[in-house]
Amino acid sequence: MSLARRPPGRILAICCPDLLAGPAAPEAPPPIAGPPPAPGPRPAPGELPVDPVFAQVVAAIEDFSPLVEVIAPGRCAISAPGPARYFGGEQALLTKITSAISALGLTCRSGVADGLFAAQLAAQAAPPAPAQPPAFPGPRPPAPLATATHVVAQRATARAASPEMAQPSPAGMIVPPGGTPAFLATYPVSVLEVPELSSLLPRLGIWTLGDFARLPAAEAASRFGAAGAQAHRLARGLDPRPLIPRPPQADLSAGREFEPPAGLSEPVVFAAKALAEELHTGLAARGLACVRLRVEVTFADGRENIRLWRHDGLLSELAVAERVRWQLDSSPTGLAAHDPSAEGGPVVGGIVRLRLVPDQLVRDTGRQLALWGETAISTRVARAATRVQAMLGSSAVTRPLLAGGRDPAEQVTLIPFGDTATPALPAGRPWPGHIPPPAPATVYDPPLPAQVTGEAAVPVEVTGRAAISAPPAWLSANGGPWLAVTAWAGPWPVTERWWAAIAARRRARFQLVTEDGTAWLAAVQGGQWTLEACYDLLPA
Amino acid sequence: MRAEIPQVTALFPDSRSPLNAPALRTAPAVSAASALSGVQGVPGDLTGAGALPVLPALTGLLPAGLPRGSVIATGAWGLLCLALAAAASGAGAWCAVAGLPALGVAAAAGAGLDPDRLLLVPDPGSRWPHVVATLLDGCDLIVLRPPSRPSAALRRKLESVARRYGGVLVIAGDWDGAHRRLTVTSQEWAGIGSGHGRLRARRAQVVVDGRGAAGRPRARWLWLPGPDGSVAPVVSSTVASSGIGRSPGAPAEAPLWRGRSAG
Repeated sequence: MSLARRPPGRILAICCPDLLAGPAAPEAPPPIAGPPPAPGPRPAPGELPVDPVFAQVVAAIEDFSPLVEVIAPGRCAISAPGPARYFGGEQALLTKITSAISALGLTCRSGVADGLFAAQLAAQAAPPAPAQPPAFPGPRPPAPLATATHVVAQRATARAASPEMAQPSPAGMIVPPGGTPAFLATYPVSVLEVPELSSLLPRLGIWTLGDFARLPAAEAASRFGAAGAQAHRLARGLDPRPLIPRPPQADLSAGREFEPPAGLSEPVVFAAKALAEELHTGLAARGLACVRLRVEVTFADGRENIRLWRHDGLLSELAVAERVRWQLDSSPTGLAAHDPSAEGGPVVGGIVRLRLVPDQLVRDTGRQLALWGETAISTRVARAATRVQAMLGSSAVTRPLLAGGRDPAEQVTLIPFGDTATPALPAGRPWPGHIPPPAPATVYDPPLPAQVTGEAAVPVEVTGRAAISAPPAWLSANGGPWLAVTAWAGPWPVTERWWAAIAARRRARFQLVTEDGTAWLAAVQGGQWTLEACYDLLPA
Repeated sequence: MRAEIPQVTALFPDSRSPLNAPALRTAPAVSAASALSGVQGVPGDLTGAGALPVLPALTGLLPAGLPRGSVIATGAWGLLCLALAAAASGAGAWCAVAGLPALGVAAAAGAGLDPDRLLLVPDPGSRWPHVVATLLDGCDLIVLRPPSRPSAALRRKLESVARRYGGVLVIAGDWDGAHRRLTVTSQEWAGIGSGHGRLRARRAQVVVDGRGAAGRPRARWLWLPGPDGSVAPVVSSTVASSGIGRSPGAPAEAPLWRGRSAG
């Protein structure tokens, strides 16, 4: 059997829902696939809350297997066969690990399957092992189980009721060897987390991973490109990219000494970005890419903190730096993020060495730029943006993405530089009720409070039938001076999302021109006037 | 991020011009896309003689374009700042907008900026001069509203950074010693009445003056913005003959409201 067709090794994945941070994998989907849920906005990388409790989880798992791969805060995986043989089978291993984590006072889910992707899904579909109240005052109280968790657990049980399916147990879900393709078949394609495919495949009538896996591999590759080919391998229960079995001859690692030892995590994270670039240059020169990275941090007192990080997409410089930050923040001997004196723990004298070692290598299939509509970011721009992010935080530098919507403020989604996201409201739809161009140059988000009165100094009101009580004659923006309204248009009623009690809005909008030459977009909702945008201010 | 992009670029020797403008280190597909999307400006423009292009509507005011390393002040934040950046962005330059949390990106796109090549730093904080200097290293044009009034020494420092990196600073505010100063002196909105119509376009008179030999004041009437959000010159015989401070006369589409004339 060729290497590319060999089923991946047995992987045990553990997921602590309380500690999940960042772009978490979707919840277990319904067995009957529907349209994929709209991907929500993702939090900015680098701002993910990192919980030092997770470091205890990793330490607990390290008692069972020394090689713990951390996927993201709250999620990790180990290779199952060795520990399973030692502890008397996968079921026994799962029971031991879940009880060890429950003893820390945390809810955890675990699953075993062929390959990391299926193992993570199995862990999410598994019934959660409830946290046990720790015997000693634990690091955190046991988290209450959300209602959604119960639903997921019930679904998982219902799914497992079919005979050939995976079997959940109180300790987790075990997908039998070779059963991974059948286990994956009912999931919707959105679990692949490839945005282009999640929207495209359902439109082609391919709703589930099983449907997708039935396509011939060559056809999938030629139609959907390299990303599609990887997704197709995942859907078939294979590793997304075949690993190169033999370690390369040359030393591809990148390291840096800190002299004097770095007491803050920021300079180390910043250095990690440069090291990652060095690492990538070395790998790219050999046509390789890295899917698992070993980050080794050496402290001044000789202690080492070594962790493996896996990423199914290729690890970019920013992604590497982000993981180094997670590792430093979650380290029990961790550094204070900003103030070393604030750290109550043992003083270890800072970090003297940081080394990045590419652990698992794959052939780099490259990235094909789209013919239209994709902008390559030159390294010069990326460097400047990254440096500003290092000064102000990662969400301080954003790139705009035009979106749909009826408000000027809704019509743009800001994405932190280096991140990708899709707008919540898609562009290119009609959006009846939006204000036609020209667009305002100044958009207030949130809108400014305002007062609008008629000639009689009585606030202007709009009835349910969009009739005004008096023509607007005076405007006071944000408590400012009263300005005479010299021209106005409206009211234009907008009724949005009446089917959702929370998001429903019913407004009437106006365009007002005041005596100083400024044009405003105003709205009245529930008797309250606001200014949504300003077309242009004439300099005083 | 990885090394294949330069290899792809190398297949197209045109983009490796001798002057080697950094903004053209983008993939050729991108330049072709912007050239085909109807945005003014040829992709090769940026490599030209040390100036960023301006929209055709603004060539009467800035015949030499935006010289690299120069500082342009616009008096206040407004669509004029975006109009100045539009042609350069459309031709492949990266633009950054700093200190403007209320920027309307749709208006920027309507004026001709490419949102794909836009970096926003809404709140540059108290260390904004460092942020601006860093952005100048990466971007060709910065639209900046200074969060605080800069001292003379700080202004000179930022001007020298702009000269060193060949960037252009467009200041949404006042800047003593700016190379050019553009101001909107009078304006009128068209299309809106008392309870009918809607805002369709703004006719604005823009006056430029500046330092040195090119400092002779000039004035032009512009659609800022026009009915589709773009910026265009007002072509009307009555307006073309009007000078600074003179009323534009009877416009083609009778405005129901006329703004104050400050010029």
